Amino acid sequence: MEREERYLELYLDRCSAQDDLAPPGLPPLSPVAPYDVYVCNSSNPEAVFNSHLEEVKEITGGFSAVDLSFLPDELTQENKDQTVVRSKGEDEENCKTQSPPSKLPLPSQQDAGLGLTSSSSSDSHSHLQPGDANSGQHTPEKPDSLPLASIAPMTPMTPVSEGSEIVPQLQNIVSTANLACKLDLKKIALHAKNAEYNPKRFAAVIMRIREPRTTALIFSSGKMVCTGAKSEEQSRLAARKYARVVQKLGFPARFLDFKIQNMVGSCDVRFPIRLEGLVLTHQQFSSYEPELFPGLIYRMVKPRIVLLIFVSGKVVLTGAKDRSEIYEAFENIYPILKGFKKA
Amino acid sequence: MNNTAASPMSTATSSSGRSTGKSTSFASELQSMLFSLGDSRRPLHETAVLVEDVVHTQLINLLHQAAEVSQLRGARVISPEDLLFLMRKDKKKLRRLLKYMFFRDYKSKIVKGIDEDDLLEDKLSGSNNANKRQKIAQDFLNSIDQTGELLAMFEDDEIDEVKQERMERAERQTRIMDSAQYAEFCESRQLSFSKKASKFRDWLDCSSMEIKPDVMAMEILAYLAYETVAQLVDLALLVRQDMVTKAGDPFSHAISATFIQYHSSAESTAACGVEAHSDAIQPCHIREAIRRYGHKIGPLSPFTSAYRRAGMAFLAC
Repeated sequence: MEREERYLELYLDRCSAQDDLAPPGLPPLSPVAPYDVYVCNSSNPEAVFNSHLEEVKEITGGFSAVDLSFLPDELTQENKDQTVVRSKGEDEENCKTQSPPSKLPLPSQQDAGLGLTSSSSSDSHSHLQPGDANSGQHTPEKPDSLPLASIAPMTPMTPVSEGSEIVPQLQNIVSTANLACKLDLKKIALHAKNAEYNPKRFAAVIMRIREPRTTALIFSSGKMVCTGAKSEEQSRLAARKYARVVQKLGFPARFLDFKIQNMVGSCDVRFPIRLEGLVLTHQQFSSYEPELFPGLIYRMVKPRIVLLIFVSGKVVLTGAKDRSEIYEAFENIYPILKGFKKA
Repeated sequence: MNNTAASPMSTATSSSGRSTGKSTSFASELQSMLFSLGDSRRPLHETAVLVEDVVHTQLINLLHQAAEVSQLRGARVISPEDLLFLMRKDKKKLRRLLKYMFFRDYKSKIVKGIDEDDLLEDKLSGSNNANKRQKIAQDFLNSIDQTGELLAMFEDDEIDEVKQERMERAERQTRIMDSAQYAEFCESRQLSFSKKASKFRDWLDCSSMEIKPDVMAMEILAYLAYETVAQLVDLALLVRQDMVTKAGDPFSHAISATFIQYHSSAESTAACGVEAHSDAIQPCHIREAIRRYGHKIGPLSPFTSAYRRAGMAFLAC
C-alpha cells in the first residue's frame, strides 16, 4: 500500500510537472522508466502521457490517475481509499475536486486537455486492478469481471472483426494509351484482322483481340481506348498487343501514358436487401427510382465510388481508378446492407 | 350522391370520344402500380379502371394544350419544352420532373460505363448524349425565366415533401413483408408507363392529332401519367383516412395521413361500399379526391390556375 501511494505521488507529480512543461525535479526511478524519454519529448506531452499510462498500468499494478466513474460501485469502492489519497494529490495540481467516490477530475481533464480519446484511456482502464502490484498476473483475469460492455467507443465505427468474407470480382477495366503517332485508319481497317471502321458513323477503328478478350477504339490522333479486360495487368497487356498490331502495319507506334480510367467490380452479398429502408436512411447518398432502374444508386463519398445495389443482393461497384477503392467501398457498404437484410 | 362529383369527369370522358371497347387497357398494370404506391395487396379492378380513365382523360387534355403551345411557336412536333412550359406554374411538380430527367441522364451515364457494349454503342451513335435532358431543360427555362425563380430551382436542394412521404410509406409497407411478398412488391414498383412505351403510345392514341409528341416528350408524358397515378393514391389515402370517424380526438385532422394509417390500419373499415377488401382503395375514394382537388375554394381561386378553364384540374401539373 505504501508503495502504491509512493508511486502514485510520483506519478501525479510528474503529471503536474508535465502540465507546466518544465523538467521534473524527480529522481529517475527505474520502475517508471521512460523518464529520459519524457525529458526529450517534453514538447510532445500527449505522446508521453500515453506512454505514461502504459508504463503506469504495467508497473504500479494498474493504478493510474484517471476517471473511474464508469466502473460499477463495487470496484470504485475498492479505490475509494485511493481516491482519498488522490484527492490530496489533486489539490497540488490545481484542479476542481469533486466528491471522492464519484470521479477523479484532473486526470480526465488532462485527458481532455491533451486530446486523448476515451477509447485509449478506456484501454488502460481495462487493466486497472485496485490494490495489486502484480499487474502481469492479474491482467488476464480482471477484464472478465470488469464491465467491458460499458466501455463504449467514441466514434461510431463498424467493428473491424466483422469484415465480410466476400471479395468483389473485377468485371471490366477501361484504360487509355497513347501510340504517339498519327494513324491512317483506313489502312489499318483494310489490313488488320478483326477491325471495323465506318467513318460515317464514328471516327475510330474498332479492333478486337481474343486473348485477353478486349475491344479497342483507335483514333487517328494515335490515342486508344481499351475496354473489356478483367484485371489491370490484362488491360495493359491487351493495350500493348494493340500497339504491336499497329506497329506491324508500319506505323511508328509507341506505348505511352497507359492509364486506367475506370474499374468495375461486382459481388453478391447473398441475402435480399430492403432498398426502401436504405434509400430513406441514406437519402443524401442514394437514389432509387424503380420505375427507371431496378437498382439503388449509392454515391459513396469516401472512396468516391458509385454502387448499384439490387434487391437480390447483387452489388456492382464502378468509378474506381484502383482496385483498393473497390474493396474499401465494399467493406464500407457491407455492414450497412446487413442492417437492411430482408429476412 | 357521387354522381355530381363524377359529372365533370364523365362529361370530359364522353367528350374525348373514347369507344367503349378499348383495345389497349392498362388496368392490370395499374393494379400492380396501385399496390406499389401504397394501396393494399390486391387493389380493386374497379379502382384501376377508374384511375385509368382519369389518367387517360387528363393526358389527352394535356396533349391538346401542349399542341396549342407548340403551334404558338410554330414547331412541327410537341417537344419537352412545351410540356415544361405548361408546368411552369407549379414549382414543386416542375422540380420533381427536372429531378426525374436528371436522374435518367445520370443513370444512363453510369450504366454505360459498366457494360462495354453500351459504351461502344454510345460512342457509335455519335452524339454526345450525356446530360442531354438536363441541357434541354436548362436552356428552355433560361429562355422563359423572367424573374429568376425557375433557374433558382436548379440549385435548390429542398426536400420534396411529397416524395419523402411516399418513401416513408413504402418503407413502412415493406418492413412487415416477408421476402416473397417483398419480391412481388419490387416487381410492381418497377412497372411504369415508360417500360411499355409502344402500348402507352397506342393507349394515348395521338393519331387524330396534327402535332405529335417526339420521343423525349413521350418519356415525359409517361412520367406525368405515373405521377398522376401516384397523386391519386396519395389523395385517396388521405380521403380514406378522413372517412374513418375517430371519436374524441379533436386534432385528428392535423395528424399526417400516413401516420394515422399506420396506427389504425387494423381498424379502418370501408366507410363506403360493402366490399370485402377493407384495405383497398375504393372508387368512391378516388372520386372524392378528384372532387376535392378540383374544388375552387377561396376568393382568388378563379385566377389560380389557367388550366381550369378546360374544366379539369390537372393532377400532374
